[in-house]
Amino acid sequence: MEHGTKKDIIQRRTDLSSNLLGFCRYLRQHGFTIGPAEISLMLEALDRIAPFETPEAFKESLAATLCRSRRQQEVFGELYDKYWKELEKAVNSKRLDHPEEKPKPAQSQKPSIQQIKDWLYGNKEEDITDAATYSPSESISKKDFADFTPEEMSELWRVLQQIARTMALQANRRWQKTHRSQTMDLKNTVRQNLRRGGELMDIRFRQPKKNRHKIVLICDVSKSMDLYSQFLLQFIYTFQNVNKKIESFIFSTSLQRVTHALKGYQFRESLSRLSEEVNTWSGGTRIGFSLNQFIEQYNRLLNRRTTVIILSDGWDTGEVDVLEKSMRKISSKAGRVIWLNPLAGNPDFKPEVKGMQIAMPYIDIFTSGHNIESLRSLARSLR
Amino acid sequence: MLSHPSLEKVRDMLAQQGYITEASIVMSVFLAMELKKPLLIEGPAGVGKTEIAKVMASALNTELIRLQCYEGLDATHALYEWNYQQQLLQLKLEEHTDKTVEEKEKNIFSDRFLLKRPLLQAITHHKTPVLLIDEIDRADEEFESFLLEVLSDWQITIPEIGTIKATHIPQVIVTSNRVRELSEALRRRCMYLWIDYPDFDKELQIVRAKTPQIDERLAEQICTFMQEVRQMRLEKVPGIAETLDWAQALAALHIDHLEKELVESTLGIVLKDWTDIREVSTSLSELFEKVGAISKLG
Repeated sequence: MEHGTKKDIIQRRTDLSSNLLGFCRYLRQHGFTIGPAEISLMLEALDRIAPFETPEAFKESLAATLCRSRRQQEVFGELYDKYWKELEKAVNSKRLDHPEEKPKPAQSQKPSIQQIKDWLYGNKEEDITDAATYSPSESISKKDFADFTPEEMSELWRVLQQIARTMALQANRRWQKTHRSQTMDLKNTVRQNLRRGGELMDIRFRQPKKNRHKIVLICDVSKSMDLYSQFLLQFIYTFQNVNKKIESFIFSTSLQRVTHALKGYQFRESLSRLSEEVNTWSGGTRIGFSLNQFIEQYNRLLNRRTTVIILSDGWDTGEVDVLEKSMRKISSKAGRVIWLNPLAGNPDFKPEVKGMQIAMPYIDIFTSGHNIESLRSLARSLR
Repeated sequence: MLSHPSLEKVRDMLAQQGYITEASIVMSVFLAMELKKPLLIEGPAGVGKTEIAKVMASALNTELIRLQCYEGLDATHALYEWNYQQQLLQLKLEEHTDKTVEEKEKNIFSDRFLLKRPLLQAITHHKTPVLLIDEIDRADEEFESFLLEVLSDWQITIPEIGTIKATHIPQVIVTSNRVRELSEALRRRCMYLWIDYPDFDKELQIVRAKTPQIDERLAEQICTFMQEVRQMRLEKVPGIAETLDWAQALAALHIDHLEKELVESTLGIVLKDWTDIREVSTSLSELFEKVGAISKLG
């Protein structure tokens, strides 16, 4: 094959492009988003690189045209090496076995070729769904927070913050017309006064649209719930960049208001210190008691524009009557009550815990909040 | 303008502008220019993302038009705005003429009263410019999808005037610090490049290139120190810009090696957050052992 006749060259060309297509397929199976547009861009790029100046240039031009995120750029090198090495192996064994290159039925191919095909193409159906549902954080967005290793945590925090910020920015940034404000709306003023020959008699003002909704967070920080509460608090706080009206409370046996304590920017440190403090009194979780405390002391925070979010597994060692009474009050005063129970993330979950059953009738939205995906949908419902 | 910058030329171009870089960056820049695709550059703050656009513009001998994104950036700041003051003045001047309202309106909504913002400037420029859309992650998603529209059509419609088509399609560089996720649509429109903090060798090369008068040993120590500091969990990890500031400051003081007191008193050049300064100060001895150990080996 080295001293190519014309036919050989054509053969090699088609080999190359079919191998490239195979490579794209392989990348797709590893989470890359590659469509016809990317493939044609890649081929165009290869065309411009004076035919493969160096193997490195070849590799880099593939990387430059096929990667779309940091993660992809990072795994690209490894995938590339793996693919072309395996391919070379397969081709070599093919050459040895069939020196005359006669087309043979698939069954007679050596196992190694079949193997590599399986390895490259995998299960067809799987491939299709893969490509269709892929999103950059797919692999971690459905994972339970409790299953993350300490090493993965900082990445998780970052992703959560990123999502929260994204969603916060989606919140309304438009201007609204108003009568008393410092900002004159020149565009509207000029338009409005055009017919008066430019005499500005009627001045228009504008101000950023206000979000009048309030959020009250009540988080269980007893041992089993602490982790989830931390993520929820962090998430909502970042989400709240736009809307400053947020009140937060933590409880295990008694309630503590942490709104101001969390305003500093060493957020994670203050939070874990606070939940330790609350937990030192620990002797089981008293949801009913804590919610009752909330009703008694912070009643005024509740109105129709308030969304109350409670995170807890519903295990209550105190009186269930108190829990019911408090839930009834909260639900009657607040606009909406959302209950997050991280245990509900388990597919076999049934709300059999007594406390949970009692609270159920007073809850507008019941969800899990145990992974990124569920926090994302929570944020959507808060907008 | 270079009509056919070969890979080699791009490499030289970057080098001539004092931009030290690796092969993957050269390739991305080359292909972005060659295929006329926008290039999306992501990476932590201070690794030279914006610099690429500047270097590109000066290498292509063309103008750099910059659109700095921020929270709440909207179309009026990116595209165009009417010059209201002028419009009002014009209306005043014409008050006693017998022009009809329609004529007056047509007059004040003409090219003369149009303030061109970066995007409009870029597409009406007389020569292919480099358009830098800096920190797109700070703008909101609404703006992102608006930008996407401009990037694909290269035309802008102004209701009062009509549609303005691009005379030259600009070379676009989009940068992001990953404060929020960018849409898949924008990613697919662009070629992608991730630039990380430089490794020791690259950073040393950069320091030498930008601060030629620096003592050899000091340069090595600074870079070792910076590499170590970046391993710590800091609020704001220092970038290359900080390394260079520090190197220049110390070189100006004619210092030839790092000392603990010296580092303590100049830490404010490297770290911009007091909790970070506190954190680094407390573990300074430890850091110094590492720096010392490494520079002795070298």
